[in-house]
Amino acid sequence: MNELNNCENCPVHNINNLVKLGINMDKFDYVVALAGNPNTGKSTIFNNLTGLRQHTGNWPGKTVARAEGGFSYANKNFKIVDLPGTYSLLSTSTDEDIARNFILFGKPDVTVIVVDSTRLERNLNLVLQILEITDRAVLVLNLMDELKRNKMEIDVRALSKELGIPVIPTEARQKKGMDEVLRYIDEVANGSFVCAPRRIKSISSKVDFAINDLTIKLQEQFPKLPNKRWVAMRLLEGDQSMIDAVNSGEIGNLEITSNVMERSLQ
Amino acid sequence: MKENEILINRANELRWELGETLHDSLLESIYKDAAEISKKTVKSFGDKESYAFDIKLDKILTSKLYGFPIMFILLAFVFWITIVGANVPSAFIASILLDTVHPWLKSLSYSIGLPFFIDGVLLDGAYLSMAWVIAVMLPPMAIFFPMYTLLEDFGYLPRVSFNMDSLFRKAGAHGKQALTMAMGFGCNAAGVVAARVIDSPRERLLAIITNNFSLCNGRWPTQILIASIFIGSLAPPYLAGLASAAAVVSVALLGIILSLVVSYSLSKTALKGEASAYSLELPPYRPPRIMQTLYTSLIDRTIFVLWRAIVFAVPAGIVIWLVANITIEGSSLAQIFIEWSNPFGLLIGLNGVILLAYIIAIPANEIVIPTVLMLTVLSAGLTGVGEGSGVIFELSSIQDTAIILHAGGWTALTGICLMLFSLLHNPCSTTIYTIYKETRSIKWTVFSTVMPLIMGIVVCFFVAQIWHIIS
Amino acid sequence: MDSNLYTLIVGTSILLFSGYLFFPEKGLIAKWKRALLNNKRVKIEDALKHFYDCEYNNADCSLASISGSLTLPKDDAAKVIDTLQDMGLITNTGDRFILTSEGRSYALRVIRVHRLWERYLADETSVNETEWHSQAEEMEHMMSIEAANELAAQIGNPIMDPHGDPIPSTKGELPQKIGIPITQLNEGEFAKILHLEDEPSTVYAQLVAEGLYVGQQIRMIEKSSNRIKFEANGEIAILAPIIANNISVNLIPDSKNVVKSFKKLSDLSVGQKGTIVGIAKAVRGQQRRRLLDLGVVPGSEVKAEIQSLGGDPTGYRIRGATIAIRKKHASQVFIKDIISE
Repeated sequence: MNELNNCENCPVHNINNLVKLGINMDKFDYVVALAGNPNTGKSTIFNNLTGLRQHTGNWPGKTVARAEGGFSYANKNFKIVDLPGTYSLLSTSTDEDIARNFILFGKPDVTVIVVDSTRLERNLNLVLQILEITDRAVLVLNLMDELKRNKMEIDVRALSKELGIPVIPTEARQKKGMDEVLRYIDEVANGSFVCAPRRIKSISSKVDFAINDLTIKLQEQFPKLPNKRWVAMRLLEGDQSMIDAVNSGEIGNLEITSNVMERSLQ
Repeated sequence: MKENEILINRANELRWELGETLHDSLLESIYKDAAEISKKTVKSFGDKESYAFDIKLDKILTSKLYGFPIMFILLAFVFWITIVGANVPSAFIASILLDTVHPWLKSLSYSIGLPFFIDGVLLDGAYLSMAWVIAVMLPPMAIFFPMYTLLEDFGYLPRVSFNMDSLFRKAGAHGKQALTMAMGFGCNAAGVVAARVIDSPRERLLAIITNNFSLCNGRWPTQILIASIFIGSLAPPYLAGLASAAAVVSVALLGIILSLVVSYSLSKTALKGEASAYSLELPPYRPPRIMQTLYTSLIDRTIFVLWRAIVFAVPAGIVIWLVANITIEGSSLAQIFIEWSNPFGLLIGLNGVILLAYIIAIPANEIVIPTVLMLTVLSAGLTGVGEGSGVIFELSSIQDTAIILHAGGWTALTGICLMLFSLLHNPCSTTIYTIYKETRSIKWTVFSTVMPLIMGIVVCFFVAQIWHIIS
Repeated sequence: MDSNLYTLIVGTSILLFSGYLFFPEKGLIAKWKRALLNNKRVKIEDALKHFYDCEYNNADCSLASISGSLTLPKDDAAKVIDTLQDMGLITNTGDRFILTSEGRSYALRVIRVHRLWERYLADETSVNETEWHSQAEEMEHMMSIEAANELAAQIGNPIMDPHGDPIPSTKGELPQKIGIPITQLNEGEFAKILHLEDEPSTVYAQLVAEGLYVGQQIRMIEKSSNRIKFEANGEIAILAPIIANNISVNLIPDSKNVVKSFKKLSDLSVGQKGTIVGIAKAVRGQQRRRLLDLGVVPGSEVKAEIQSLGGDPTGYRIRGATIAIRKKHASQVFIKDIISE
């Protein structure tokens, strides 16, 4: 966090890894990842932000390939990458691999998590997983109109406090709330809003022991790695891409210092 | 580097100690947190239970009493609107592209003295087949896709797959296959794309492979025309209409039954090795946005499918014209092929003309009948009908069409076998290409192309031979 | 008419003949393909596996047991042993044969491929569980260790095969054997199934038919010299001791932590609520992960909300969303505290 404050307006994304993931960052200042459960209006938000028109439907799992677009806000150019809609990031499907690896290795400057506010509890599963990977996230509470129709309300401020990230209620289909989304994307990207994301708490003692054991070892090897706990969890799940990244030392690329150095070189 | 290996080894040791419960345990913890957070932040107000409306609607749409009739009426309505509503714009587009622009282009080419050959390839071949595809494909798709998308956006279609699941489960398939089938009645290529909503690999492949058994928009007119000429005439005159309608519906039903049977056998044999994970979330109902839907379904589905069809229709139009006009020792390539393949055609109750038509009209089922008519006139040496060799055409009168076909030696058996073959043959090239795009597998693309063709040949063979023995 | 009948007969015969040739698995071509497997390699590898089994179970291997397990005449078995000796994979200690370290790592490689493949079939395909073992028996001789490692990476480097046997690591490490045969349990004791022996396949098929799976909780009810009666997930199973011996279990010493009564999610009728206790281990791979991702985890409240017009699947309200679950899966999710509204 200290390093981040040294350079308030610097992007955090890892340009080398982004190139490897096939993202062209020419003429863009920041990269934004768009994640969420299937059928939460993610594509509608994407279209609203970029002015593109992807088909969006009331169907789980519409976005199959990864879509990219761009937009400008506050004199900055943002690249936005629409990740496949997934229920989780802990399993072994192609969609989840794409989303998980993008958020971890691409280090987006902001990850926008879109949730269906009428099904918040289920959606929080993915939110909590993403918050293990990245510090820089914005939660979009979409479909607020449907929430009202179903006679429910969400305490937005309390939710924001619980999760430690900005929470913005929207009605994307009516284009309501998009200005706020843009404002918070910008604030988190340029570092003026510093997130303090919630980490998963109720882990059973046996699992917690194993995670801590590995986290300590990771701390020795890669002291500046920001998401050690996540890396430990993935190693325990036998995730080959993580094993390879540790074996080759590539995981060190994700350390905060490497970014600071990158910045000073630029 | 060595240190990193020690780290990995430690991770492996810990994995042995934890056993296999880690994944379960992690998700349990995450959901525990999620419950805690949502308890603190989500409140319901008002005296009624939340989701009361959705639950009530669900109860009606999935009830044993109303569920099926509602589904049947809604889908029948969509198809009826599509068929009835498409006639007028189809005729309109045809009158412009075929009856106005085509003659105008011809006279233009005549006035600037374009050589016969170039004029034929470009105007009678490429342009005509493209115009034909647009005229017959665009209107029904422009009506069907938005209607389908509206039902989808509202959230009704997931309930259909929920209701149909028990039937499809028995065939080893996913309830959502009901939706891809319904989409296939509009267009098989769109049906194949629609299979994306099935997230389990095996079930998705099943839906893609069997989509061709849904009688698509391009094949309905063939079925109706052939049934009214050949089946209607088998029945007494006052029952002719009913008999031909019954025949068409039976072919469509046969398609549905076969897609279930094929799904069943595949899931027991060739697709056993594919993963299967059933899941179906019933999304909340949402008011559909009509304008947005019209726009996106037009852009995403209609234009997308139409464009692919045009891309394939243009070269096919050129081929159609060329085979009818390139001659070797006085007879055209088409005539040579027809004569050569006729014995095999007759063996399976068809004839050489039909076989050639299905080969060169592969881009779209819509141009099969015009091609058949052109080839029949050409090979039977009829005069006074048609527009010349290589120029596909259709006649407005069923009687006139019947006269041409009878002159080409067609019998009731030819009609029946053509109806069966129209259901059971390779998908059109647009669909084949789409299958490849979706599965990224040459193996499954070839399989989905060849399997229905072999089925068609086998079925037609037995029908023809048994027919000969009985009659 | 005669010629038509003739054509029909010829056509039918062609159809039947091509079915006979091309039928998947049972057709002639499929059989030829299998027969093309290198027989010598198969015998060597099977013999090595047998030696390894003896070593793991602290039993002695004899010529008779080799010829029995490979179903070979004794003369041929002796030839195989000679070859193994020539290749330096086993040595003669005077009274018996033991694996050399080279032979042991070869055997472990074969076992690794075998168990990985079984796990792959269980998790990622719809192949019936009675076929896992026999398919793996073929695959173990065909797949290279590199290909096996790639497969392992793809399916998340599993540590156990679906029968509860540990999968040797790439370095050939294998944890020690634990657990006791079910026949050693006392009446009234609780235990968890640790391992189901998959050979001979007829016995395994019988265990599968009883609905038994690794990770299942059981309670011994009654045992005598001719039958073993126990409760598995609330259902009674009765087996002959000789068959029950193929089940190893882990005793649960503290019966306070044991769930004693089992209700299934499929027992809920529309309108009823319950709390999820767990998903049976028999739900594996993608299907299991999908259920977990959707919130089917211990502690989740669940309510049966709607039933499809065919009666199956049922829509359950779980964690604020409506999820359709088929009866087949719902009957493998355990719940407690059923309340009717």
